[in-house]
Amino acid sequence: MTKAVRDRPRGTALARRVTGHVVRGLVMIWVVATISFVIIREIPGDPVQGMYESLLQKGMSPDQAERATAVLYGFLPTGSLWDQYVGYMWSLLHFDLGRSLSTPGVAVTSLIGSAARWTVLPVLAGTLLSFLLGVIMGVYAAIKRSGKLGDLLALSGSLLHGIPVYVIGLLLTAIFTTLWPILPSGGPVDVAFVPGLNAGYIGSLIHHAVLPVVTYTLASYGGWILAMKSNVVAVLGDDFILAAELRGLKRGIVFRYLARNAILPLFTILALSIGMLFGGSIFIEEIFNYPGLGLLLVNSISTRDYALMGGTFLVITVGIVVANIVADLLYTAIDPRVRSGEAA
Amino acid sequence: MTRDSAAPEVRIRDLTVVYKTPAGELPAVSGVSLTLNPGTITGVVGESGSGKSTLALSLLNAVQPPGRIAAGSVEIDGLGDVLHLGGEDLRRTRGRKVGYVFQAAQSSLNPLKTIGKQLLDLGRSHDVDDLRALVADAKALLARMGLDGARVLDSHQHELSGGMRQRVGIMLALVLNAQVVVLDEPTTALDMITQATILRIIREVHEERALTTLVITHDVGAVAEVADDLAVMYGGRVVEHGPITEVLGTPRHPYTQGLIRAIPRLSGDISLARALPGRPPTLGTLPVAGCVFRERCDKRMEICETVEPETVTHDGRTVACHAVGRPAPVKRREYA
Ligand SMILES: Nc1ncnc2c1ncn2[C@@H]1O[C@H](COP(=O)(O)OP(=O)(O)OP(=O)(O)O)[C@@H](O)[C@H]1O
Ligand code: SF4
Ligand SMILES: [Mg+2]
Repeated sequence: MTKAVRDRPRGTALARRVTGHVVRGLVMIWVVATISFVIIREIPGDPVQGMYESLLQKGMSPDQAERATAVLYGFLPTGSLWDQYVGYMWSLLHFDLGRSLSTPGVAVTSLIGSAARWTVLPVLAGTLLSFLLGVIMGVYAAIKRSGKLGDLLALSGSLLHGIPVYVIGLLLTAIFTTLWPILPSGGPVDVAFVPGLNAGYIGSLIHHAVLPVVTYTLASYGGWILAMKSNVVAVLGDDFILAAELRGLKRGIVFRYLARNAILPLFTILALSIGMLFGGSIFIEEIFNYPGLGLLLVNSISTRDYALMGGTFLVITVGIVVANIVADLLYTAIDPRVRSGEAA
Repeated sequence: MTRDSAAPEVRIRDLTVVYKTPAGELPAVSGVSLTLNPGTITGVVGESGSGKSTLALSLLNAVQPPGRIAAGSVEIDGLGDVLHLGGEDLRRTRGRKVGYVFQAAQSSLNPLKTIGKQLLDLGRSHDVDDLRALVADAKALLARMGLDGARVLDSHQHELSGGMRQRVGIMLALVLNAQVVVLDEPTTALDMITQATILRIIREVHEERALTTLVITHDVGAVAEVADDLAVMYGGRVVEHGPITEVLGTPRHPYTQGLIRAIPRLSGDISLARALPGRPPTLGTLPVAGCVFRERCDKRMEICETVEPETVTHDGRTVACHAVGRPAPVKRREYA
């Protein structure tokens, strides 16, 4: 009569999941790398060929010109397309993205490296802030959904969710730098301060980060509050919540059951949201003249700095892929069904 | 039969529960009075929608919106009128004083926590000092129901079958030694043999602990084995109530008679088994005046159209039907 409890090897299921993500991520990175190669190589008015020819015209020997071009783009301008592609991929594997044209001679990787922190930190801060705020307000909006405050919260969510991120950015700039100028209008830090661990410099960093971070936060807060509210309402209707109440569980415990079950699905959105914020960084960094990846990408496009463009694009892709994997690990850590490979 | 003085009596009086619908508030339970004798198992049968679960939830003052208890009282010895309890008092009553097995017991568990952790949550919520003893009790109950207790406590809900979850639900309702236990279709996800076993175990535990128990079921045959009393519900009313052998042996209400005729096991001969004609009423199709059963009744009379039959108790049996012989008129005081 006794049916054995279904047994599942938990470790392997997790390993399979993570492997799946890593493989998908690598494929995605490879596709983007290939696209960026094609853009650099095959765009009308082939920049590589153009560079090579202009160097020749300047009197360089074909050998020298070839080497100079190879250093800039990470692959040889001559040879078959396949050889060029292999050469490009080979340099990528060695974290060599070529050299920038617009900042001559500087390696693309070092440009990206210094820009990345201006994007990653504000994006993460904005995501976490909006996640926390949205989740808390979402629970509140769900529980008070028949009251005025609940309506108001949900309405604020819908409104913010509908406004494009650059509009939020422009509005905030207008309000806090022009109408009521209490925040700096652009740049990452006041040049008057000596970089380092001193209060003035760090204070200035934070002061300059406020507007971008608040913009990121507002841009995704609406989505969180709406998603959390609907999840909480759905879980409230689940049988096990009523059952928990009928067993006389303490309110705090019932609330934890509710919150944990409602938050869970949000972790998949978290990944997407981080990815979208990297995308959004293009607008936000341009508005606030904030020297992150988004601004780097915009500048590389306007200066036709193809190596930089491809490299930045690639790094943003890697960021999204990594965010996906991290979110999935988080999700796995808290959902036993996924952990045991049931609801994959 | 255990008629232990420790077992509480449960007195439901004039209970009316309404649900808000587009057509206004409609009663799912109408003026029900029902006494659960201390130390007995009362079975409640009735077709889907007859108000069984709504009645059961009322015992914990747990009718969910859009429903609302509109009138009546539910007195439990030692607790008073449950319908007047609220806040912490009500919470402590639920689970500790009144155990409840949810109709959808298979989905009554938190999917993210092991059964063992949920058991500890239950213990902590009711200030159980000795959590080890609680776990031991739980394992013993699960073992009685044919499960490997240690293993089940270590599992998440999705690792258990529907029948196993249902038994976990029963364990959680019994483990705190509540004196009143309400089981809403506790055996639906089980096969026939397991079902009989579980009902037998419920009976055993009930006797050991001197409980007052209410078992709701679709299956008259299954409950006949374990219950002392039987209440038959139709359209939100208890139309017949009495000792189960008598109710099943000499059913008086036309609905009870039809119900029993429809069950081969009880009517004795499959060829004689006859399904009850017509469909069970819903909140919206329930007649407002007269007898709620008249559309399907073969004994219906003129009075049945307009006057709702009174509930009359005679020889310890309660019936609500115009066609059932009235007890010999009791001499009224003014004539005495
Ligand atoms: N949330 C609700 N909203 C509106 N009507 C409801 C609601 N819950 C129950 N009802 C109605 O109340 C009546 C009684 O429902 P209840 O669940 O108590 O019946 P039941 O006898 O337990 O049925 P079943 O055997 O199907 O469990 C039904 O007509 C049902 O449609
Ligand atoms: S009251 Fe009338 S209609 Fe109702 S069950 Fe009795 S005889 Fe039938
Ligand atoms: Mg029911």
